[in-house]
Amino acid sequence: MAVMELASVSRWFGNVVAVNDVSMSIGPGVTGLLGPNGAGKSTLIAMMSGFLPPSAGTVTLDGAPVWRREQVYRQIGIVPEREAMYDVVTGWTFVLTNASLHGLADPGAAATRAIDTVEMSDAAQREVSTYSKGMKQRIKMAAALVHDPAVLLLDEPFNGMDPRQRLHLMDLLVTMGREGRTVLFSSHILEEVEQVAGTIQVMVAGRHAASGDFREIRRLMTERPHMYTVTSSDDRALAAAALADGAVSAVELVDGQVRLQAGDSIRFGTSLPRLARAAGIRLYDVSPADESLESVFAYLVGR
Amino acid sequence: MTSGADTGAIHDIGYRKYDGPRLGSAYVFRALTLNSLRGTFGLGRSARSKVMPMLLLAILTVPALLIAGIAVIGGAEKLPVDYTAYAINLQVLVSVFVAAQAPQLVSRDLRHRVVGLYFSRPMSHGDYVRAKLLAMTGAILVLTGLPLLVLYVGALLGKMSIGSNTQGFLRGLAGAVVLSAVLAAISVTMSAFTTRRGLGVAAIVTVLLVLSGVSGTVSAIAEQQGNSSLAGWAGLLSPYSLVYVVEAKVLGADANGASMPPGAIGGVVFCLAAVAIVAGAYALLMLRYRRVSV
Amino acid sequence: MSTVVLRDLTKTYGGKVTALSGLSAELPAGVTGLVGANGAGKSTLIRILLGLTPATSGGASVLGLDVATQGPEIRGRVGYMPEHDCLPPDMTATELVVHLGRMSGLPMTAARERTADILRLVSLHEERYRPIGGYSTGMRQRVKLAQALVHDPALVLLDEPTNGLDPAGRDDMLDLIARIGALFGISVVVTSHLMGELERVCQHIVVIDGGRLLRSASTVDVTAVTGRLLVEVGDRATEVAAHLVAVGVGARAISAQSLDVELVDDATYDHIRDAVVDLGVPMVRLQRARHHMVDLFRDEQEPA
Repeated sequence: MAVMELASVSRWFGNVVAVNDVSMSIGPGVTGLLGPNGAGKSTLIAMMSGFLPPSAGTVTLDGAPVWRREQVYRQIGIVPEREAMYDVVTGWTFVLTNASLHGLADPGAAATRAIDTVEMSDAAQREVSTYSKGMKQRIKMAAALVHDPAVLLLDEPFNGMDPRQRLHLMDLLVTMGREGRTVLFSSHILEEVEQVAGTIQVMVAGRHAASGDFREIRRLMTERPHMYTVTSSDDRALAAAALADGAVSAVELVDGQVRLQAGDSIRFGTSLPRLARAAGIRLYDVSPADESLESVFAYLVGR
Repeated sequence: MTSGADTGAIHDIGYRKYDGPRLGSAYVFRALTLNSLRGTFGLGRSARSKVMPMLLLAILTVPALLIAGIAVIGGAEKLPVDYTAYAINLQVLVSVFVAAQAPQLVSRDLRHRVVGLYFSRPMSHGDYVRAKLLAMTGAILVLTGLPLLVLYVGALLGKMSIGSNTQGFLRGLAGAVVLSAVLAAISVTMSAFTTRRGLGVAAIVTVLLVLSGVSGTVSAIAEQQGNSSLAGWAGLLSPYSLVYVVEAKVLGADANGASMPPGAIGGVVFCLAAVAIVAGAYALLMLRYRRVSV
Repeated sequence: MSTVVLRDLTKTYGGKVTALSGLSAELPAGVTGLVGANGAGKSTLIRILLGLTPATSGGASVLGLDVATQGPEIRGRVGYMPEHDCLPPDMTATELVVHLGRMSGLPMTAARERTADILRLVSLHEERYRPIGGYSTGMRQRVKLAQALVHDPALVLLDEPTNGLDPAGRDDMLDLIARIGALFGISVVVTSHLMGELERVCQHIVVIDGGRLLRSASTVDVTAVTGRLLVEVGDRATEVAAHLVAVGVGARAISAQSLDVELVDDATYDHIRDAVVDLGVPMVRLQRARHHMVDLFRDEQEPA
């Protein structure tokens, strides 16, 4: 059970405030750290990894500060974003060295295990310079996992990976999360985050904009009405009934569908089928038009 | 109020297809060469990039103006300086220009990987290389040729011998062409292999100055020891002395006491050397640019 | 009318590394997505299509022109937007695009006019007169796109056009790509790692895996509806499922809020509607389950 706690953390570089009064708690499971470019994600991860001290506030792991405490690296594994790697060693050597540096009892076995986990056993004997970007990421992951850390921090791990590698990494992270590890990864590609992260933390311009399950966040965005696209056996009648009932605030008939705007999604969800049944209308398709992480995100960024 | 039928219209300003002429590789080659040539003098670029080359052009031309002016006013019978020796005497300035502008021409595009945008167009590697070489040659020719023109015009205005001045001018110009080609070959090739910012400039200026120094030193020592022919052969070591020898041996210019390699062989070898430098540069450049991925 | 035809295309380097292996596909006009080829495979394919590298065996044609013998003609009719940075920082967007337009054979006036138009269409406004060095990632991508379009190509190759863009920028770029395909009348081949994006804008998709063709199909086929429905409710999904089963509809809860229902006939829709009303549970989603492009890769992983 490893919980990383950030309390009123700020980090500035001269006048540039990269992280501005952020408080969050990262527990077991997979957490996605989201934000546009320049939002402060990398800085935040650097502070959680102990590479940077916070200018204000505290970053602690299970109560103890992360900065200037080498012991913390027994519990944390880090996969940084930068691509630079020692090109001339083999993948195996790289991971083994990491294992030895951690002072593990049986570095060889640990290295083998880690490499198997990331499915790089076939390529481990080749030089890192021959690896593709995705393979380099995986080897870095193996090196980060070799000491079986309770916390795994990854900075933009999906960058440049092809779909197969991405799926593989996603499965890996989900597995790690299920094993009870605390996994945090950053991304600005929502498609990836949606499928992997149980919780998301959103950062915008250094501020902590939102946290939690993104659908829940959407529900909390009450000043924005929900948009639904509905296909039914009689769109016009349905639209009229919904408007009359008051469950929706606006309707739009478009292209064989009806778009409905509702302030309260629960009320809408209960009213729509009821109204449809009462009018003998068949519902073929009810789709929330803006419940994607994408639109939640756009809203948060625009605030 | 008349009811005009079509008094309002909304025009389509969307994407337009292009049905006009698509000019061939000759046009493209010319366009790139001219554009690059203009670029070496900062034309078509920011004001800042004009300063150095224009300043150098001025500094190289002003002495010619002064010389011609003084000669004319003083009523001289002939110019105090040989057309064929002008650039060589001011070689440091020429070297500075070459070192500063060759990287502008070539390293920039490589460093920022713009070259891929050229090669994904109908332009061939050969055309690109030739255009850049030709542009640099042209630029150096302007730099070294303009002063000669000034001298020539001055001589004509001063009513000096038309025959000998014209001959001298043409010789000087021919020499300038050879010098431009050789310097362009060396500098463009070096620039293509040193893409890091500033490295090309430093490398080229160092190489040219060092070569000049070495050539001069070896030549002087050889002369001291009475070995005139070695002193002459030492001229191969620097592009400036190489061209000077070609001018003297092949174009019939006055050697003015400088060391010359012996006999006709000397002239032939030096000529071949000049050709080899240009050809070698071309080959190396083709190799370099073939390696570029789009 | 195919824009690109690949015939058993193979490319090996030094006899050891196989970048492409026996690729055969026909890409129709419109927007085609190219997925999966990473690193070596993708650059190799692009170089071959532009006629810059010969294939080891097999062949290809672009716009009816043979890549092996008609490279320069192809490059005159095709626009290419590289993935990597390729813009000089000290030129303005206008200067660069005009210059490159001329390098594609446009006379000066046409180059200038088309540059002005294209920059407007890719939404570069006053910034076009400022040096590229100061541009944001989004602006840079748009300049790269503009230089690919200035000479009115019949086909453009866009290599990872949304790279480095945040969600808003990504959206804008995807809309632009869709417009290029639909309104400008230019065929597009776009590479990306993100299947969601491709599903959005492409009519056809080509999936390459390990140098081999995995699938070449229309997006409609790949994202075809299955015979199942996805229903999301506020909660109590298990009760809803049980209720449906009781009236003879195949259903099971996938989570506390969602269930998977077998679509037998139109009456199924009514059963679902009635079930949620009877139970007083809010229904927030009712959709035909679709395949997704990403499933193509998942299928391959089934054995695990």
